[in-house]
Amino acid sequence: MNENLKTAKNCRHYAMCKIDFLGSGVCASGLEKHYASFYPVGRMDLYAAIAENTIPVTEKCVEIADSCNLCGKCDYQCYYVNEMRPSKVMKALKDYVGAYLKNGGEIVHSEDDKILTEIKRIVGDYWATNDAAVRIAYHHDLCPHVTFKMPEYVVMPNSNEEISSIIKLLNKNNIPYIVRGNGASSHGLVFSEGAILDLSRMKTIDFDEKNWFVKVGPGVASFDLQQEAKKRGYRVHTAEPASCVCSNIMTTGLLSLFSTTYGISADNFVDAEFIAKDGSFFRLNNITAPNLFSFQNSISAHEAFAICVSVSMKLHPVTDDESGILVPFQTLDGALDFVKICSTRHIGLAIGIMGSEYVSSFIAPTKKLAIEAKDIFINKLGMPYLVLLIGDKYALRSVSDMGFPFIDQKLFKTIFQGLSALKSAEWLNLLKGLSDDEPFSYLKISQFAELAETAVDPSPALMTQDIDSDLRLFFEKLYSRPEMNDLVWSNTFRIQSTRCCREKPSVALAMYLPIDNSLIAEIQDGFRGIAEKYHLKNELGFITPIDNGKRCVWEYDYYFDHNDPAEVSSVQQATHEAGILMDEYSVKTGTIRQVRYVVNQGCSRKENLLYL
Amino acid sequence: MYDKKNPIIALTGATGFLGSHLMASMLTAGYKIIILGRPTKEETLQERITKLLRWFGIEELAGQLELAVIDFLKPMLGIPEAEYKKLCAITDQIIHCASDTSFAERKRDIIFKSNVSSLEGILEFAANANVNFFHYISTAYVAGANVTICKERISSATDFLNVYEETKAQAENIISAFCEKNEIPYTIIRPSIVYGDSRTGRSLRFNALYFPIQSIKYIKDIYTNDIINHGGKKSGKLGIFIDDESYLFLPLRIYLPKKGSLNLIPIDYFVNATMKIINNATSGGIYHLTNNSPAKMDVISIYNEQFMKIKGVEIIYGKSADNVLRNPAEELFDRFVEPYRSYLSDNRIFEKVNTDLVTENLHPPEFTDEIFKNCMEYAIRVNWGESIFEEVNQKS
Repeated sequence: MNENLKTAKNCRHYAMCKIDFLGSGVCASGLEKHYASFYPVGRMDLYAAIAENTIPVTEKCVEIADSCNLCGKCDYQCYYVNEMRPSKVMKALKDYVGAYLKNGGEIVHSEDDKILTEIKRIVGDYWATNDAAVRIAYHHDLCPHVTFKMPEYVVMPNSNEEISSIIKLLNKNNIPYIVRGNGASSHGLVFSEGAILDLSRMKTIDFDEKNWFVKVGPGVASFDLQQEAKKRGYRVHTAEPASCVCSNIMTTGLLSLFSTTYGISADNFVDAEFIAKDGSFFRLNNITAPNLFSFQNSISAHEAFAICVSVSMKLHPVTDDESGILVPFQTLDGALDFVKICSTRHIGLAIGIMGSEYVSSFIAPTKKLAIEAKDIFINKLGMPYLVLLIGDKYALRSVSDMGFPFIDQKLFKTIFQGLSALKSAEWLNLLKGLSDDEPFSYLKISQFAELAETAVDPSPALMTQDIDSDLRLFFEKLYSRPEMNDLVWSNTFRIQSTRCCREKPSVALAMYLPIDNSLIAEIQDGFRGIAEKYHLKNELGFITPIDNGKRCVWEYDYYFDHNDPAEVSSVQQATHEAGILMDEYSVKTGTIRQVRYVVNQGCSRKENLLYL
Repeated sequence: MYDKKNPIIALTGATGFLGSHLMASMLTAGYKIIILGRPTKEETLQERITKLLRWFGIEELAGQLELAVIDFLKPMLGIPEAEYKKLCAITDQIIHCASDTSFAERKRDIIFKSNVSSLEGILEFAANANVNFFHYISTAYVAGANVTICKERISSATDFLNVYEETKAQAENIISAFCEKNEIPYTIIRPSIVYGDSRTGRSLRFNALYFPIQSIKYIKDIYTNDIINHGGKKSGKLGIFIDDESYLFLPLRIYLPKKGSLNLIPIDYFVNATMKIINNATSGGIYHLTNNSPAKMDVISIYNEQFMKIKGVEIIYGKSADNVLRNPAEELFDRFVEPYRSYLSDNRIFEKVNTDLVTENLHPPEFTDEIFKNCMEYAIRVNWGESIFEEVNQKS
């Protein structure tokens, strides 16, 4: 496999190239043409398909290749997340199409059929297509559990009325359809051999500050909403930055470290609007609306009931003394006890136990450094578990009063920017000795951060020294920006979270359960055992307390190489067995709810989801 | 071939600092030894011992060893019955050297398990083996913090500095009571703080004396690096600089509760004295292996200044006032030295009548500048223990 094809096939489909998360701009052709196919994520798929002769050179293929101006913005974005350089693929696509045309290659034209003609009448000529070069970007992702489907049509409606008309038309003609918010897919949930409705043109964001909510259209990405909220001094509870707000709520009920305070599922919004299967419109607050607050603990409830066309998200106040800390623990038990106390006592806004895999991946700018960082956290610092806690000055003072040593924002910046120096820092050996009587007691030394800063001499230049030389200056400037070093900002916008799959993609085993240390240890042993049987890398993702410490949400990850059929097969079997294990525990305890069963029930009332 | 005239000795703690040196010395003297030990997660007991024999340069004596993987807390030490009986039949003496040497209060339960609860199994083994001597390696610090003279008798103190001292004192009581009841001859050997070999500086462990020196070394490295590579951005603000003689001026005030000294003995003295005790012991004998000329901290500090090429270290007796501003180095060092602080300004005198009687006037050397230098040079060469076996591996 040539390097470009390898890069193209390694695209994670997180669609981070569709949002301006680095402030470096977004692919101009994507912003203009809107179809996922005109963004780098789509061009990666297109190049792979062309290189593997899956599709021919079509009219849209030429347009997509032509529309790339090789500006290189995607390199910044993709390198940040995955350490990949898509611009080489973009260029390879342009070169291929250019050479093909120069050699007199035939351009395949897709004829409109009757249905497409009807759809175009509703949305306009440009906003519906059956061109394979567009459709290919909507036909797969990295999920190992589904059979991918090539859609017949891709449609981009821009109003509720258009959506309604389209689904009436599709229903009438028995054509299956599925809806995408941001045009992307990462969990195998949005494939159809009929029509894909890509709602990413519908990006309305209307604030009602008097009533503390913001009404969000179905195409709005989390990052964009959070930015708008921040400008006005609020925070909105959002998930991964490129994920679409509406679809995120519908599929998972929206959970994050902020779920400790902001809740999950129906806690997140005050109202929502839908277009039902028959094309009719309803508001959740209508007395005649279907009861979407109920929850059925079964995968059979997965069929989509309607298309969410807006959610009115709660606006949360933000205080100017918020800060983040990392509280280290030698054992998961210790970390669980701590988060339970904090959650029960309402200490902290966002809380999450993270394994060293997550922490290392998040803070390291390259894969190599992430591996070294993991070694530093586990072996040199003896911190296999870190609890990230964001709170105001009173919350942080409480943690200090409780006697827990922690890494504060200042020390975090030193570690973040000084990772490369830490790997060879002999003085770290001393810290183990200092931890004998009280683990991490050196963190209580008031000037420890100062000393660490002297020892490491952290700087953006130091942290970017292993980055590709032509990108180094950009990243040096990027990491100089205060927000890039800020635990509050990075957890509000979550731009580092997709780095957890930089080495390999993962399948998340996620569930709600009581913060019961022995139960979690028992299930974790089960997860580990299954993964080890199939030789899969497996790690704790995160554990976040919710509902005043009565429950938590827990993610455990199985990693696999999506381009290796043997590993895909292994992860399929392992996940299947892990699913059975979760089902068994669910029955046995009566207190476990699996996130996979929440799909399409994201409007559930939290109490119905967790307790009944 | 081992010397059949020598008794067969069962040794615990052979992978530790004192135990490993005893093992090496006894093997060299021709003893046959039964190692009662444990594997780690990474290494089998055999691998651990082989590595040590290589470090001592006595791999050819491995034939004098027999290894038994044990668990002190299990019946018959967790050894299969037939093997246990065989070991009982051949063991003449036991040296119980295994110990958890942590001072950490939070590990109280673990330390008690290691140093006290574990005794039942090894004492039962002693009784079943009908040994002709049970030697217990204790510590000189079982007499409590507030005595002036530490007697060669079982301690009834309660004022211990840490849980380690407390467990060792309790263990002495249990062992003496058990041995007397079961008519097993026994000795209690009480070393003070043991450092490396006084002639070569070699050592297998680098705590106690080494830890504060190691911390000063790292602190020095941090500021030297700041001055040389980063223009002294941070050092300058703290008055830290490199002077004309290439010494680092590092203002470091070390607070000690009172004037006193550090009672140090080298591992070679510990081994030689213990061997003499084993050969000449009388039952119930308690032996202090301590130094009659303990090292003053200000003297050690001078050795260290010369060795490290630093200036500015100041020993202050008494408590620091709350309003004294400390630099980061002082704060960090203070934390490092805390568990050892009382041992650094100790004025206790150790009775040595029994010791002098059986060790034929063998005495530990005074802790000189040369010994300090040898020990620290070796410590740095092996990166304070981190690369201790690399040297041997390279040779082999």
